[in-house]
Amino acid sequence: MHLGDTIVAISTPPGRGGLGVVRISGAHARPIAASILRLPAGASFTPWRAHLAHLLSAGGSVVDQVIVTYFAAPRSFTAEDVVELSCHGSPAILHHAVERAAAAGARLAEPGEFTFRAFLNGRIDLPQAEAIHDLIESTTLYQARVAARQSGGSLARLLHPLKAQFLDLIALLEAGIDFAEDDVPVASETQIAARIAPLEAELDRLVRSYSWGKVVTSGITLAIAGRPNVGKSSLFNRLLQQDRAIVTDIAGTTRDTVSETASLDGIPIRLVDTAGIREGHDLVERLGIERSLQAMADADLTLVVWDLSQPLIPDDEQVLDRARTQGRYLLLGNKCDLAPAFPPPAELLPVSAATGSGFDLLRQRIVDAASPGGRLELESGFITSLRQERLLRQSLDSLRKGLASLGHGVPHEMLLLDFYAALEALDAITGKTTADDILNRIFSTFCIGK
Amino acid sequence: MGLRTALVTMNADLIAQMSCNPAIGGIAKGHLVREIDALGGVMGEVTDEVGIQFRLLNTSRGPAVWSPRAQCDKRQYRVRMKEVLEQEPNVRILQAEVASLRVHGEVGKQVVDGVLLADGRELRAGAVVVTTGTFLNGLAHVGEKTYTCGRNGEAPSVALGDQLRQSGLRWGRLKTGTPPRLDGRSIDWDRFEAQEGDREPTPFSFLTERIEREQIKCHIAYTTERTREVVRAAIDRSPLYSGQIEGIGPRYCPSIEDKFVKFPDKERHQLFLEPEGLDTNEVYVNGMSTSMPLDVQVAMLESVPGLEEVEVIRPGYAIEYDAIDPRELDHSLEVKTIGNLFLAGQINGTSGYEEAGCQGLMAGINAARRVRGENGVRLERTDGYIGILIDDLVTKGADEPYRMFTSRAEFRLHLRIDNADERLTGLGRSVGLVDDRRWENFERRQREREVVRGLLGTLRLSAARFPELGIENGDNPMAAAWLRRPEAQIEALRPWIEGQYGESVGREGLRSVEIELKYAGYIDQQRRQMDRLRDSGERTIPREFRYEGIPGLSREIRSKLEAVRPETLGQAGRIPGVTPAAIVVLDCYLTLGERRQGV
Repeated sequence: MHLGDTIVAISTPPGRGGLGVVRISGAHARPIAASILRLPAGASFTPWRAHLAHLLSAGGSVVDQVIVTYFAAPRSFTAEDVVELSCHGSPAILHHAVERAAAAGARLAEPGEFTFRAFLNGRIDLPQAEAIHDLIESTTLYQARVAARQSGGSLARLLHPLKAQFLDLIALLEAGIDFAEDDVPVASETQIAARIAPLEAELDRLVRSYSWGKVVTSGITLAIAGRPNVGKSSLFNRLLQQDRAIVTDIAGTTRDTVSETASLDGIPIRLVDTAGIREGHDLVERLGIERSLQAMADADLTLVVWDLSQPLIPDDEQVLDRARTQGRYLLLGNKCDLAPAFPPPAELLPVSAATGSGFDLLRQRIVDAASPGGRLELESGFITSLRQERLLRQSLDSLRKGLASLGHGVPHEMLLLDFYAALEALDAITGKTTADDILNRIFSTFCIGK
Repeated sequence: MGLRTALVTMNADLIAQMSCNPAIGGIAKGHLVREIDALGGVMGEVTDEVGIQFRLLNTSRGPAVWSPRAQCDKRQYRVRMKEVLEQEPNVRILQAEVASLRVHGEVGKQVVDGVLLADGRELRAGAVVVTTGTFLNGLAHVGEKTYTCGRNGEAPSVALGDQLRQSGLRWGRLKTGTPPRLDGRSIDWDRFEAQEGDREPTPFSFLTERIEREQIKCHIAYTTERTREVVRAAIDRSPLYSGQIEGIGPRYCPSIEDKFVKFPDKERHQLFLEPEGLDTNEVYVNGMSTSMPLDVQVAMLESVPGLEEVEVIRPGYAIEYDAIDPRELDHSLEVKTIGNLFLAGQINGTSGYEEAGCQGLMAGINAARRVRGENGVRLERTDGYIGILIDDLVTKGADEPYRMFTSRAEFRLHLRIDNADERLTGLGRSVGLVDDRRWENFERRQREREVVRGLLGTLRLSAARFPELGIENGDNPMAAAWLRRPEAQIEALRPWIEGQYGESVGREGLRSVEIELKYAGYIDQQRRQMDRLRDSGERTIPREFRYEGIPGLSREIRSKLEAVRPETLGQAGRIPGVTPAAIVVLDCYLTLGERRQGV
């Protein structure tokens, strides 16, 4: 734990709330926040004042409207520069904000680290042992919970064989160094490469599994798009199984994006119902359409809705083209209970918001399409936190660096630097490996001793 | 360091008697000897004088793990060491048995002010260093027979052993072993593969220019299927397996019977036949440490082709002895609860001459500083293998006899034999162990390195030399760039360097510069790790810090912390079983404590 880093974390309790707060603390809090937000023209961070701002995606589109407050050191919770973003409470948005801040240079905070910094910087006064007791208790309880989950839990089961393979790899090289006199065969490059290959494959799989793990824990954002009156809101309500959006026959009833959350196969889905998209009429509707297009751009998946009972018009084609260029989508033909007015293309999934026909398949297709790597079974194992993903990626990078040096005359004790670095990243998840663990492995594998 | 010192030994003729293999150095151990030398110790110089076969080990690996080893003439080593000791004006050698320590004060806060000898004499001292080797309640095993002894027939130290046992400190029982010694005249030498020494021996001491002495050969032998059968048939007569031996032996140096039992699939085991000196017929069978009964030892030996007619001079034996739990010590090797008492060597749970030697040196330095009222000297893990050895001992204890390995060194790219002087000679000088001769020699080497670094930084290789150096047109012609190639050797540039410098340049100096250039990327990576460790581990924990009543620490972790009483937060984090969460809690409490005291 380096106290000089700028750290970031979600500081509201896990789960869905009306609002969620992301807190950034440290010397670079302000520039990091500035790089992921767009303030209104002419505005700047005035300390201790709330500003309205937009949280941006990596591509620069607006993800959420947030309230941002800058607390200048030392008058802040941690006595460092702190920026707090109050976002809409969807886990997907909060995670997005944290990921963007991490990409801009912040480190993910360790459990209890904000409080710890506040304490160390003398911001929280704890003259009473009792008060400190609570602080420590909460820190360690969290750690204990994490540890308990990790030692008995699925991640430990996943990583345990991986660590054993790392130990084998390192012991192979170390035995060749420390026991060169003891009739221990020198590991060939082929032998080393053969031990790296399965490690690399599994690390790579785990890193990629985060795209699914993220879906499972944070859910996905789903935009429903189409020209007016194809039944988007009915579809929305059917997916939610409730009357939420206003549904009328008058084109353009939904003037704004409406969002709500549903659960599909246990995965939280944030549905965004959008205003119908068509060549603009009045100003209010055009603004609504703007927002619809933005919602499509920000969604993980867009449901493009056509009306099967009406002949296709250019507006329909335009919405589909737009979705194609912007990312993943599913093409739905609503009102399949009525007589079709045109032959549907092969990719179109027929549904009926009125009868519910086709919805089982639709739900399944949504879940399958939610992650680029597709759905993963619980048994195969996947990771669910950004911190784990970062550490595993670090591990993979170090391992690959070592692999790349193999065969370039780099001595084994230097190759080992990269392998130890790779193991250390795993250790940050599962607990420390010591020199004795490696010696134990050597002694149980090789017959040592003159 | 100028203090009057009494050296009490049970037999003045047997000071520096090599009880096991008469060899100094080896992988990681060679590093320790270089460090001892850099600090002003004599082990390296004496080895260079009496070595009869020198080999630089691990040269097929990178330079950080190269390590010198020398087979010594056993008798000459002892004789030469004693001469060196006798030349020390302040050392008085006394042949006597120490019966007890003069201890005063209540348990937990005692102090030592001298020793009582078995003959009734009493010696007063400001500090006492105890180095009992395997003598403390030593018990030897050869098959079913046991006898008390210190080392191969010498008397054990029982009275002192009993006093220490009752001192309230934690003690354990360790075991080590040694192989039989053979009569060289009964060995059919032609049937073994010879192992030569290096053509150009690498000296241990920075002060040794070169080693001229002619070198002997060792020979390599292998056990056979018959050996395995002999061991199998007699395994229930082994004191190791019958339960007769209680002490814990080293896994890296198992007895031959252990090797056959633990690795049943391995068809044969390697043995080395090593002469114990130039004027003796005794041959050491490296790799055949055993405590089997004598008849089994003979049968095992006879099963090796070339040893059919062998005569055994001394049988192999195992020896059990008392060793302290080294977590009773602080980093200066002083017993935490008994002031002025320092321990070094096997009594602290280590094995090996080099491990013992470096502790003796550090304990000696710190005992002297204690007498003068100065602070203890502590080597960090980033300073050298000696720092790692002591930190491991006082932090983790020793479940088995502790031997140094390079894999224990997290910063081994930095801890090389070629730069041991750069790392430690300054410290040796400041504590008063490095004399003018060594210091001038060191300064000259430092100047050389400086000059060579400067020269190589600007040297552009001439096109005429390209073919010889393997440089293609279009390659970077700078010497520094060329040296980064794995196959490039700085020796090829020696004539030019010496021409520019105007003086001859030592091999080690050139080597350091070459290594720094060649592996700059890796060495820098390691340096950054070292800086991080320093940043995070420096916070000190007061000696009297109370762990009880801290609610965030589990009872298990608390008892581990209390057993070690770490000096810094970094050390606390290295104690096995102490979690990162516990370190955060400790950090918190230390801050609170400091704030309360208004620090």
